[in-house]
Amino acid sequence: MPSLLITNARVIDPASGRDGVADVAIENGRIAVIDAGLDRSPAGEVIEGEGCILTPGLIDPHVHLREPGGEHKATIAGGAQAAVQGGFTAVCCMPNTTPAIDSLETLRFVASRARTSACRVFAVAAATVGRKGTQLAPIWALAQAGAVGFSDDGDVVESETVMAGALAATAHTGRAFMQHCQDPAMTRGASMHAGEVQVRQGLIGWAREAETSIIERDVRLNRAIGCRYHVQHLSCAESVEIVRRARAAGLPVSAEASPHHLLLTHEACEGFETNAKMNPPLREARDIEALRAGVADGTITVLATDHAPHALHEKEMPFEAAPFGIVGLETALPLYREALVDSGAIAWPRLIELMTIEAARLCGLDAMGLGRLAVGGPADVTLIDPDAEWTISDETFADRAGNSPFVGRRCRGRAVLTVVGGDVRHRSLARAEA
Amino acid sequence: MTIAEAMRVSETEGKGECTRGLVGLRGMPAESMRTILTRARDLLAEPQNVALDVARGRAVGLAFLEPSTRTRGSFSLAAQRLGAMVVDVSTNSSASKGESIAETVRTLEAMGIDAIVVRSAYSGAAVSAQRASEAPIINAGDGRHEHPTQGLLDTLSLAEALGRDAAFDLAGVRVLIVGDIVASRVARSAVAALTTLGAHVTLVGPDRLAPDDLTTLAQGLAITRDFDAAIATNPDAVMMLRVQFERHADPGVVQAGYRDAFGLTTERARRLHQGAIVMHPGPTNPGVEIDQAVALGRVKSVRVLVRRQVRCGVAVRMAVLERALGIS
Repeated sequence: MPSLLITNARVIDPASGRDGVADVAIENGRIAVIDAGLDRSPAGEVIEGEGCILTPGLIDPHVHLREPGGEHKATIAGGAQAAVQGGFTAVCCMPNTTPAIDSLETLRFVASRARTSACRVFAVAAATVGRKGTQLAPIWALAQAGAVGFSDDGDVVESETVMAGALAATAHTGRAFMQHCQDPAMTRGASMHAGEVQVRQGLIGWAREAETSIIERDVRLNRAIGCRYHVQHLSCAESVEIVRRARAAGLPVSAEASPHHLLLTHEACEGFETNAKMNPPLREARDIEALRAGVADGTITVLATDHAPHALHEKEMPFEAAPFGIVGLETALPLYREALVDSGAIAWPRLIELMTIEAARLCGLDAMGLGRLAVGGPADVTLIDPDAEWTISDETFADRAGNSPFVGRRCRGRAVLTVVGGDVRHRSLARAEA
Repeated sequence: MTIAEAMRVSETEGKGECTRGLVGLRGMPAESMRTILTRARDLLAEPQNVALDVARGRAVGLAFLEPSTRTRGSFSLAAQRLGAMVVDVSTNSSASKGESIAETVRTLEAMGIDAIVVRSAYSGAAVSAQRASEAPIINAGDGRHEHPTQGLLDTLSLAEALGRDAAFDLAGVRVLIVGDIVASRVARSAVAALTTLGAHVTLVGPDRLAPDDLTTLAQGLAITRDFDAAIATNPDAVMMLRVQFERHADPGVVQAGYRDAFGLTTERARRLHQGAIVMHPGPTNPGVEIDQAVALGRVKSVRVLVRRQVRCGVAVRMAVLERALGIS
């Protein structure tokens, strides 16, 4: 007997091409049946999904959960709670913790925390020891132990020699290398986009070239290696074009975009707004247009929040001294809708594809059956009310940090039900309650 | 207040003009500037050896989290001449990293301090302080951002020297600001004050120190790399800026030949027209941006205001403190 039956939702499963109204029955943590007009009587719980979109559980391949070492900012359990509230059933956390996730010991610690968390938590491991960029981490062993990708995120791998070694070692594992593209010499002391707002605020500017130069270098280095190379959080038009050309040349290059880079410009930093201080920085309207165009034409295949909680005492520092980053998990879905669907760049099925199977493929989660709705596969599903109107507020955020520039924003669309392995981990079924 | 509320700040807060504090001059209406300048001019005329009593019983806090001697002394004297008590919690130690400016001003506010003067090496520090404090914050310099009392004192000394201190209308006045503009909070505040009051300002410097995008700081702002050509246009005043070696990541930002191209040498000073005004916020790098003989007034054809600027500084800070304390 199914434990959960979700009826009459528009079921979108980009991996199989399904897009139509159907019922989905869940039993023993797995998807039992997907069909129209299923019998409701034997079900444990029936949820009326009419008017909603039922999708594979959303996946965010780039979040910061701060544990170990940054528990004053956030925890794995707290981040996972934020994830399910935002409709995500799986997240991949970055290794810039203390210590970095560069050893089997720390990887196992993260896995142990993940086991008791609300969603699936996978770890992207550091490519170099301590993320210092000098000595390779045990990449093969980390991959065997479950690391779903490699990155020194927060820092670029600066040395060409080390980077070439990291690409080769990562290629051997079949995982993707995810690069944080920031030339350190070009961004010393920089705290926001090089432009008018930066000039009048007396800050040090962060040029687009600090990003493009690294992508160009890596594409060149990787040409002979052939690792799956993924550019994290693209911020500017020129970067999109480099990725577009690389993909056109058949190179194994992919890229992601984040909600804030798809919606906000450097103007958000006016008045030294530390909640708009981002790495890479918010740029200009033409960059937003280029990023949306990159999503529309398939250059950008992954969406990632770069969820980066920080404590109040850190974000209340002077702009130049405050840390980079904002939280994103609870607010991503309506922001993607606004940036990509409402703007006409893509339609809902493609948005769901970017947030599910594409992210799963990047991190090898598709091999576990994640990112798709398959009978017999894991019952990770998200029910989305695409038209629910709500206002992002302090109460939106699950964990201790609320560092978001979107507080107060009116938005549309939210996850009303998040199911992980058949268990309901989040529900806010005001309208859809059966 | 919740965390997210505390992290946000209303549109108008911390922008100087809407509070009694003074975070910056950019965006401040001309009338507000003229009110402060007029009061400062009147204070200059008061006998120096008589302390005013207008701020008796009030307390002014000084939190200079970056090394300062001159500005800190000037504010301290200004507060005491108004009759206020001064609490100085300045430090160059851990707080100079900027972590605790919000905590520092909260502590001062809890003591019952009425107005708080802050300085920090970080751009945006004064805004952070204002967000943390109900008491008015006066920015005594935040990184490369603004140094509003310096901008006002520069304007006061210039207007006084030009006989424009009745109405503080600087229409038609032509000023060169020369040197390390990109790293200069003094330049940002001076540009805001001078252009708001009608002066025509030209920035002069090499592209590393005066990049073209600085013209976006104000309407009508010009920029040139040719100091000699700029001098040939007979400006009314030349404001020389200190090269701020400490604010540049690249120690080679000033190349050999800087003095030849952008220094106010004795020879160049002589080419300024009779009675032209020379200013410098101090401290100078003698032999870099200005020759000591010029700074000390040995070139008799020009009027050097360096010491008068310091004197005007006390008066401006008294006026700004009066405003912050709600006295004037």
